[in-house]
Amino acid sequence: MNKQAWIFALLITVLTCSFFVGKQSVTAKALLIPSNFPTPTYDLSKNPLTEEGFALGRKLFYDPLLSKDGTISCASCHQQDAGFVQADHDLSHGVEDRLGKRNALPIFNALFRKSFFWDGGVPKLDFVPVNPIENELEMDEKMDNVVHKLNASTNYRALFKNAFSVDTISSKEVLQAFAQFMYAMVSANAKYDKFVRKENNTLLDKEELAGFNLFKDKCASCHSTDLFTDDSFRNNGLDNEHPKDKGREEITLNLADRAKFKVPSLRNVSLTAPYMHDGRFNSLEEVMDHYANTVQNSSTLDPLLKSGTRLGIPLTSNEQKQLILFLNTLTDSTLINNKDFSNPKH
Amino acid sequence: MKNKLFLLAAFVIFSIASNAQSVQLQFKNQFNGAPLSFDQLYQTPIGDSVKFSTLNYFISNIELVDKKGNSYKVPQDSSYFLLKHQNDSSKTISLSNIPAGKYQQLVFTIGVDSVRNTLDVSRRTGTLDVGAAARGMYWVWNSGYIFFKLEGKTINQVDSLRKNFRYHIGGYGGYDSKTINNIKVRTIPLKSLVVKKGKNPVITIDVAVERFFNSIIPVKILEHPSVMWGDFSVKLANNYEQIFNLGGIKYE
Repeated sequence: MNKQAWIFALLITVLTCSFFVGKQSVTAKALLIPSNFPTPTYDLSKNPLTEEGFALGRKLFYDPLLSKDGTISCASCHQQDAGFVQADHDLSHGVEDRLGKRNALPIFNALFRKSFFWDGGVPKLDFVPVNPIENELEMDEKMDNVVHKLNASTNYRALFKNAFSVDTISSKEVLQAFAQFMYAMVSANAKYDKFVRKENNTLLDKEELAGFNLFKDKCASCHSTDLFTDDSFRNNGLDNEHPKDKGREEITLNLADRAKFKVPSLRNVSLTAPYMHDGRFNSLEEVMDHYANTVQNSSTLDPLLKSGTRLGIPLTSNEQKQLILFLNTLTDSTLINNKDFSNPKH
Repeated sequence: MKNKLFLLAAFVIFSIASNAQSVQLQFKNQFNGAPLSFDQLYQTPIGDSVKFSTLNYFISNIELVDKKGNSYKVPQDSSYFLLKHQNDSSKTISLSNIPAGKYQQLVFTIGVDSVRNTLDVSRRTGTLDVGAAARGMYWVWNSGYIFFKLEGKTINQVDSLRKNFRYHIGGYGGYDSKTINNIKVRTIPLKSLVVKKGKNPVITIDVAVERFFNSIIPVKILEHPSVMWGDFSVKLANNYEQIFNLGGIKYE
């Protein structure tokens, strides 16, 4: 773990100077890479961050125009005050009250992730938005219709011209604007971060520290690095049969991937209830109870959950409490209060 | 203006010097040797009655190979074509700047190569634009292009019941885990294709749609009415790889 103070690695060397996209002058926006994070996976040189592109991505994110009937925006299922998931919904909620197949995942720190969605079906951030837009249970729209609707708006045409120097909007600019908004959404200002980066003499209290030590011992094999995920796919023993959702197997068609799902980041986990791919647990207490007491066996159950004398992770009730206290230190209030990421209309 | 004149002059000189010419590829979708029609009822070689409603496929990474084995590759960024049966102009591919010479093989990919399936969005323009031309030819949940799409109805001769069938075949091999790879590189022997000034060659590729149902393995539609992302797609891709063959070469 990096013990250095909070160092800003400026990817864009010149903060406020203008540069040119085609004929149009745009303003570079600074992107801050936390010193305790792994290197970005997104190729920023292909789509550098600009004030104009970011603002456009933000506007699109909050615009229900993206959905078939104009009722659902990205923010419907990715709410800022809920750590960019949908509060109180086990499954994501689409147009005409349709229910999605899985629980919405948070979208912050996408810059560092190796693949997207519970099954990792989308390896590139550029193509993440097309999935919910075209999913019949979510926005049920077609990407070409989105492009038509945007081109029909004088306001959007002007904004795209400013940001990308185009007279006619195409999916390329739409997806690049989205990518800019998403990859700039870096969450790294939790109490935990200040503690590991030794900022403002921040310390974890005795119980949180006990939780941290337990975490390193019992959880960090999967929830590794300061992203709190190794980005792998694992079966964490929710069920012993998997008739409905085969998880990663649906992408790889490999039986060995049955019921494996993306290890989620634990950042802001106190905000992102309910938990698991199907949102079956409403509280972190239920999650702890699962790992301690109710892990189910199946052929693809993660080996780390069957290495002991019984299935799961041995955790006393006091240890579970300490772990939850530690997980609460991963809550980044600057993310949920950052006006940069809020609805531009409010 | 001076600059433009210079560029024009350079282009003319380059064209004369390299003697580069155009070549046309015409894809002719057929059923039992006659032009395919979506209005007609056909019998597959397995005996199913069918009426088609969609036939789209990507042709990409086109190359011409001479007798020494040297190949001329069409520059990759302009080598992705989406052919739709109902759009006649899409079925003619015009290649320009082909170096003069004699060629013995035409090579193309049926589908989209794996690299292009994972490039950033700035490299997915034209026929690969998921928000325009490639509508319906892209899987959003399992990122990747649909290479070959054949849809229609099968009609039971006894009770006249109709059932839809849908074949959406894709799969570029997977990004971080190995998975289905249905990319097919087809080599078409040409005997001799002469590319030279004033020749204007037109290569016809016959696409024998009836053989989709039996060229390697027989496909009974009711046993496989819907094939998309699954193991059986590999068999269908093996079948359709064989249906692209040389119709002829003429000079216009």
